[in-house]
This record gives sequence, structure tokens and C-alpha cells, in this order.
Amino acid sequence: MPSETNRLHPLSAVTLALQRGLTGLSMPFFAVMILSTVFDGVDIDWLFMLSPIGFVVGVGYGIAYYYRFTYAITSRTFDVTSGVLSRRSREIPYRRIQNVDVSQGVLYRIFGLAVVSLETAGGGETEATLNFVSEAEAERLRAEIRRQTARVDGASSDERAAPAAGVDETTRHDRSRSDRGPTLLFELEPTELLVYALTSFRWGAAVFPIALVIFLTSADSGSGLVPAFVLEIARPIGGPASLDSATVSSLLILVAVTSLQWAVATYVASAIYTVANYYGFRLGRAGDDFVYERGLIQRYSGSIPVDKVQSVSITENPLQRLVGYAGLWVETAGYGPESSGGSQSAVPLAETDRSYRFAENLTGVETPRFQRPPTLARRRYLVRYSLIAAVVVAVAFGLAQVTGLERWYLAAAVFVAVPIAAHLKYVNLGYHVGDDHLVIRSGFWNRRTIVIPYYRIQTVSTRRSIFQRRLGLASLAVDTASSRTFSWGTPTVPDLELETARELHGSGRERLQSAVRERARSDETGLSVDFT
Amino acid sequence: METLHPRIRLLWIARGALAAVVLGVVLVAVNQLQFSVPLPAIGGVVVLGLVIGVGYALRRYQIWQFELQDDALYLERGVVTFIETAVPFVRVQHVDTQFGPIERALGLSSVVVYTAGSRNADVRIPGLTPDRARALQNTLRELAVESEADDAV
Repeated sequence: MPSETNRLHPLSAVTLALQRGLTGLSMPFFAVMILSTVFDGVDIDWLFMLSPIGFVVGVGYGIAYYYRFTYAITSRTFDVTSGVLSRRSREIPYRRIQNVDVSQGVLYRIFGLAVVSLETAGGGETEATLNFVSEAEAERLRAEIRRQTARVDGASSDERAAPAAGVDETTRHDRSRSDRGPTLLFELEPTELLVYALTSFRWGAAVFPIALVIFLTSADSGSGLVPAFVLEIARPIGGPASLDSATVSSLLILVAVTSLQWAVATYVASAIYTVANYYGFRLGRAGDDFVYERGLIQRYSGSIPVDKVQSVSITENPLQRLVGYAGLWVETAGYGPESSGGSQSAVPLAETDRSYRFAENLTGVETPRFQRPPTLARRRYLVRYSLIAAVVVAVAFGLAQVTGLERWYLAAAVFVAVPIAAHLKYVNLGYHVGDDHLVIRSGFWNRRTIVIPYYRIQTVSTRRSIFQRRLGLASLAVDTASSRTFSWGTPTVPDLELETARELHGSGRERLQSAVRERARSDETGLSVDFT
Repeated sequence: METLHPRIRLLWIARGALAAVVLGVVLVAVNQLQFSVPLPAIGGVVVLGLVIGVGYALRRYQIWQFELQDDALYLERGVVTFIETAVPFVRVQHVDTQFGPIERALGLSSVVVYTAGSRNADVRIPGLTPDRARALQNTLRELAVESEADDAV
């Protein structure tokens, strides 16, 4: 299929020119500033000549970049050619595309523009970014890539399963029918959004209060390292009047009050962030893809091919478990926006039953009946946490020697938490060996239940540390291609009896082989798109 | 089960010894700059480090073994944490043979097997003779192509 060559939106020529122009303007500025302090010959006046030249060169470069950046949809690949001085042309086969993401900031939305990124499994970054095209073009690209992918897939499955041509005919028919528009699978209700905002904690939001304080205090000069309001709020309940004349106890109060303030500000910031990012979340199905959109100010939308889904996870923190809500994530091998590593929220938050039903319908896993590792595991955690508690007490003792801290032995109170922590860790562990899936659950603070189809297994490992060997325990690590494993770690069933671990290890391998054989026969994707 | 080439022990022992020597140098530096550390203590620590390093290297060699099974490459390794890993041939993306300068001097090379899984967990078989490494690489490549299924990613 011959194809046309496309350029970015004409407005992007303007922004590119301005961006590069500003870079060109500022480079001589810094260069002259630094050089004039080192060499006598360099004069500040040079700036008036060099900066305009830099600006013009930058603008020229930006415009050239715009004209040299082209992309095309061909019959087999998506091609991007770019670069002014060093040219780079990249061809991405449709079968390799993991997901297509579209994001729109505020200004972009006003002008009807969008940034399109294509993710593949290779490399550590987005494979191709079109910054930026018109909204209509983004939509067209997404539909076209979806159509081409379906076509390529359809053709290859024809080759493989010629006798089943009739079946293929109907699936292709389904595809063209569903091209008309996505079917809605899930929509985040306002109450669910509110619960999500109030029950999710994003630690990244902790920088927000700091940034705010730095920003606000830079206006009134001379407030020193600690802003005045921090001292003022702590003063009525025993905080120090100033840092110089502070006693240890008043300093401790100051620290406590400030951390409390910080925590509250972080919580509020994280709730605002959640609302801004997940407002109007919708998940739908279009052909063989999931499509989603979300965001209040910055708008994100994208598509995830169903057969690229590596695993599905349900996450619930203690607060969410208390109110009976849970979230559902799908993981691919690509790299999503916000560098969340190919993990997309399929259902940000819904009632727990609903989330689990979604996960079951999506993967076809039966309702898991969780088994627990032997109680020996709990004993292990008891020992482990006791050691941590002992370290805490030792640190307190050490501090007492250096600072004259009294009653350091009160730190021994942490030992009370040890059995509780060990028990909570233990009761939140679970695994289920299904017909086609392995389900692993772990974690108290961020309990995650991950559903791994045997077909997605990359490697299986049985691990035994010296402590585990003494107790006859072993952990089973099941690696998938999901790029989320970077931040979440390899899915692991910890502290099984060695016998069980070995058995699971073997059956995981066997079931992978039979799944591979089965798929070679039937060319099934193994995931259903209908999960409502 | 196949074991590694005995010469790999030299490499591992050398590495352990180097770590012990570095530790000794750090202790001497601390002695000069901050606290006075008695010389016998430094010597003791270095000797202890050496003994542990050598012991670790020997034990590691004893434990390390691998095997080509019907469906997967199977490895056993690890002194502190003993790990048994199976890498199904269907999941092998590509296979490299590598050798560093010291490995080359010892006439050894490594085979690295890549899967689409977490990239830091790539499987490395050290201590093979260059011939064995090349043979293993070819076998693995053939097995991977033979068992090629639909893509995992």
C-alpha cells in the first residue's frame, strides 16, 4: 500500500522555531558570561551581536527540523524520519507497537493539538513521539494504526491457520464493525473519583509543599532557612521562638508539628493530583484494543492492544480495603506516560467485587482460592522484624550516648509492633494455581494481587537464602516481560515449602509449553475484550 | 549437569582478593585520617577477607551448574541465596558470547542469554571455554528458533 508522507502540525514549526531560537539566544549569553570572567579579551558587549545571531540560527534550525521531520503509515510499518544534521529514519512494525498514547496539555486543548507517542517493548524510552499534530490527525493516526495492526495480524493468522479461514473472516468482520466507535467498558463515577483521591497516597506529591514554600518565601527576603510561619504555628504548643535559642524538646515539637503540616499538605496535593489526572476516566474497547481517556487539565488518551497485555494486577491499600474499593491495572511491555512503565490503570478504583470481576472476565481466570505459605513463614517474618526492632533500639542507645537523650530504652516499645507486622505480612500473602494462570498476592500497605497467564512467563526461578534453607523454605519468582517489574519487582511467591516451590516451578514450565502449543494451533489471544 | 571450567575459580579468587586488598587500603586510610586502627587488626581483617573471598569463590564454583533440558535452559547457582532458574527456549530473544580482558587472558568466555523479562535478570553463564561458549550459543539459537511461537511481547 503506497502511503503519503506527513508533517507535524504547522503550528509546531512556530513553537520549534521559538524554542530553538531561545536556546540559540541564551547559549551565547552563558558562554560570554563565563568566558568574560576568565579571559580579559571577552567583552560583555559581544552579547548584543552574538545573541541575535544565535537566535536566528536557532529559529532556522527549528524550522529546518520541522521540514525534516516526516512520518508515514505504510502497509507494514510506521515510519518516522527526523534530524537536521544527522538523519535518523525509523521503521516500526505494527506488530511491535505496544500502545499508542495521546496527551494534551491545557494550551494544546485550546488550540486542538495533541502529542502522540508510540511505545514498543524495546529500549528504555518512547519509540516515536509526534510533538505535535492536530486532534483530528491524532485520532486518525490511532484508528489507522489500529486498522493496520489488525490487518497485519489477520494476514499472518491466515497463513498459519488456513483451514480456519471462516473463523478469521468473522473476526475481521467484527474488527471492521467495531471500528465505528469504542464500546464503553468502565466509567469512573464522581464518587469513585472522590474515594480514589482520598484513599490514594502519592509520595511524589511530598515535593509539592516544599516547592510551594520555596516559591512563596523567595518573595520576602531574609526569612532564613526555616520559613517564619513554620515557627509561628509551632510556638503556641511549645515550639521554639527562634532556632538559635531552642531547647532539644522544643525542637522536637517543632519537627513533629512541621512534619504533620507537611503530611497534610502532601495528602491534599496528592488528592488534587489524582482528581486532575483521573477526572472523566473512561475505558472502552475498539476492535482488539482497549482505549482509555482521562484527565481534567492535561488530557491523556491511548490504546492498548489486548494481546499485548502481560499481566493484570489489583491494588488495594489498607484504607481502600476498609471502604471496600480496589483498582485494576493492566501491564504491557511498553513504556507509558508519566514513566509508569507500561502499566495502565484499567479501572482506577471501583468496589472490590467489581474490580475482581473485571479481572476475572478480562483474563478468564477462575475465582482464585488463595493458599498461604506454611506458618513457618510467619516465624521468619517475626525474626526478621525483631532484628529490625533491635537495630532501632541500638540506634536509640547510640543517640543517647552522643546527645544525652534520656530514657532511650522507651524505644523498645517498637517490639510491640513486631508480632503485629509479622502477622499482617503473613495474612496478606496468598497464591492460587489456576488452570491457565498463576495468581500471586502480597503486601499489607500496598496489597497487590497479580494475575499471570502461564503463557506470559519468561523465566521461572526458585530462590533459597541461607535462612530459608535452614527452615526448608523457598521463594518462587516468575518473571514476565511487563516493564512494571522495574518498580514493583519480579512477581514472587515467598517462603513456600521447598517441595511446593519445586512443584510450582515444574508446573509453571509445563503449562507454558502447553499454552505455547495450544496457541500455535488455535491462534487465540487468551484474553477477552468483553469484560463487563 | 554441566559444570563450569575450573579456571573460572582463578578469576573469582582474584576478584575476592582484590576486594580484600581494597578493604585493607580503606582501613589504612582511615587509620591515617581519623581513628587509629591497630595494624594487627587491619592485617587480621584483610586476611579474614581473603579467606572468605577464596572460600566464597571455591564454593561458588562447586555450586554453579547448568543443563540443557527438553524445554529450557536450567541453571543452579548462588552461595548465599541458592537460585534455580529455568529459561524456556521459547522465551530466548538472543544469545551473546562475551569475554572481558581478564577472561580472555584466562582463555574463558561467557554466554549471555536475553529474554524479554526484566532486563537486569538476564542470564549469564561464565567460565566456558571459547569453543564451548560458541557451541552453546549455536545450540541455544537453534533451540530458540525451533521452538519459536507467537511473540510474547
